[in-house]
Amino acid sequence: MVADLSEIQAMIESALPGAEVEVSDQTGSGDHLLATVTAPQFEGLSRIDQHRLVKRAVRERMDDGTIHALTLMTSPPGAPGAAR
Amino acid sequence: MSETTIKDQVQQLIDENEVLLFMKGTPEMPRCGFSMRVVQVLEAMDVEYGAVDVLPALEPLREATGEISDWRTFPQLYVNGELLGGADIVQEMYESGELAKALGVEQPAGDPGQQGGGPETGGGEGGEPQPFTSPPLQIENQP
Repeated sequence: MVADLSEIQAMIESALPGAEVEVSDQTGSGDHLLATVTAPQFEGLSRIDQHRLVKRAVRERMDDGTIHALTLMTSPPGAPGAAR
Repeated sequence: MSETTIKDQVQQLIDENEVLLFMKGTPEMPRCGFSMRVVQVLEAMDVEYGAVDVLPALEPLREATGEISDWRTFPQLYVNGELLGGADIVQEMYESGELAKALGVEQPAGDPGQQGGGPETGGGEGGEPQPFTSPPLQIENQP
């Protein structure tokens, strides 16, 4: 199954209003995705909680197997890692 | 019914193993690149750890870890009963030295970024595979 990258992006954006989201296909197979998410909601959260928020947003597509693996790079706006 | 049992088993494993990895496949034969990365990190840290192959009971284990830790993907690394994270977070914590601190060990010498090859590539001296210090644990799917 091939994930619809813009759908995944929209799912994250609607769960985290104001977030900057970039989703790409890491392997060309359409199911190993990389998401870079900069969101104000991440302020003060540990990395694991930042990841939890993103994964919760796309849970449906992970559970149905559309996404096999989602590599996450998350940061609050203005954090050192934000521009990586 | 069976989910309750698996959840209890999972909680017990988390409680009883100081370092516990839920992974796809086994440390000897990882079945997923992300699980393999975490195994390589743990081998580099030279710590004892328990490993659970989630593939025989993937969905029940997803539900169980979702309830216990609000985390439904694998791999998952637990240290002292706490979920540290999946492959990305473990890798970041490894590179920053936070993982060594969490495990109570010395940060291994050398560039952590160069661990990617794994023991089986054996490129040069010291490439001997390390024996695994802990046998893989089994979770049986409920009959």
